[in-house]
Amino acid sequence: MPPRIRLRTQDVLTRRTDYICLSCRHTYASLATTPAPSLSQTTPAPPIHRHPRNQPPSYKPPEFRKSQLHRQYQSLLRSAPLMLIFQHNNLKSTEWMAIRRELASALRKVDEDLAGQGKQDLMAGDGVKIQVIQTGIFASALRVVEFWNPDFSAKPQVAEIHPTDPATPTSGPVPATTATPTDPAFTHGLSTSAYLTAKKNRRLKHGLEPLLSGPLALLTFPTVTPQHLKAALSILSPSPPNFPAPRRRTNPSYHEPAVQNGVQKLMLLAARVEGRVFDLEGTRWVGKIEGGLDGLRGQLVAMLRSVGAGITNTLEAASRSLYVTVEGRRGMMEEEEEEKGQGVTEAGQ
Amino acid sequence: MLTKFITSVSARFSPFNSRSGKTARNFLALLPPNARSTMTIDVQMLGRNAAAEPASLALKFKDGKEMSLDIEKMKIKDIQVEVDRHSRVLRRKEELAG
Repeated sequence: MPPRIRLRTQDVLTRRTDYICLSCRHTYASLATTPAPSLSQTTPAPPIHRHPRNQPPSYKPPEFRKSQLHRQYQSLLRSAPLMLIFQHNNLKSTEWMAIRRELASALRKVDEDLAGQGKQDLMAGDGVKIQVIQTGIFASALRVVEFWNPDFSAKPQVAEIHPTDPATPTSGPVPATTATPTDPAFTHGLSTSAYLTAKKNRRLKHGLEPLLSGPLALLTFPTVTPQHLKAALSILSPSPPNFPAPRRRTNPSYHEPAVQNGVQKLMLLAARVEGRVFDLEGTRWVGKIEGGLDGLRGQLVAMLRSVGAGITNTLEAASRSLYVTVEGRRGMMEEEEEEKGQGVTEAGQ
Repeated sequence: MLTKFITSVSARFSPFNSRSGKTARNFLALLPPNARSTMTIDVQMLGRNAAAEPASLALKFKDGKEMSLDIEKMKIKDIQVEVDRHSRVLRRKEELAG
């Protein structure tokens, strides 16, 4: 019968054992003592976490598509300070493709202009993205982002004693040692507390409620850039005086039927700029800011400078009038002195 | 909804009105992808301040009938019923003639 435990022949051949004399072998075995348990073995092991650190419990099953979309929309809402909300009325995929192509080329042109001016840090055209969203999930994600403030300093509410502690009485029922799903220490957007907070505060309004129905698409910008917004508006929702559509001569591909039909079916509804809701007019106002945020800062500096000049004039006026008065008085006194001096000399003569 | 017999749609609404804005937008979303080639669509959108202003949705059909729908009160289902009622008549006429 072959041996039950299979040893690799190589191992058997190369195994080297130190020589121990047969008569001494038993003595050595009897002298061997068990080593004292190490510190980590004496203290109780921490309880096994039911949820890994990177997989905290979520309210809805995390493997569902809607959970992942919810998470994705939350991250989008937190990372995009400027987003436009469009309604798309039955656009075909070729039309979407054509619109995306035109949008990308227009934004690339803006980036090239900015690079020409040496403003490489403002180039954000690559991050601008138009995407169709699931409206209901987006509405829920928006409520979580707006109204849920997770407590990042909260400690998980677990029992003080746990079953591996030797001091724990073994006869009674042992309390649960892992955090419950409703624990405020879970600070992720899919947690139960996030869901409940977003659902509970029905009275709180973020201003976009009437818009969140029907087929929606989002155009998201990674930064608030009026230049890129202007380019995007002139492609997606052209309105002649401020946001004219590109001319047929300069950009013939914009006037292809696929793009034109698609643009007609996109309706700009509103914008969300740094958490605030803007309607159509407000969106165009943001896009109209000349020279982007730098232009706005320049305007502010010019305004403050004129105010500063006014203040210095006002503050100077008092001292200046005092100076003029004192000078006038000195002149008068000098004249009097001269007159007196003349009178004295005349009397002396 | 039968959209084959509609020749013109003109809508005036504010998307910030949770009643009329939603209904009008839902109606526009029901039009087929080639709607712009078969009918004239005129959409006028009002701003946020004009949310309380009266909204209107007017349709014209192939036989010349004009239908003005009260989107303040009607919901999208009611509008569908109204439009379909007239469209079915037109469809029957067309079937009998053709």
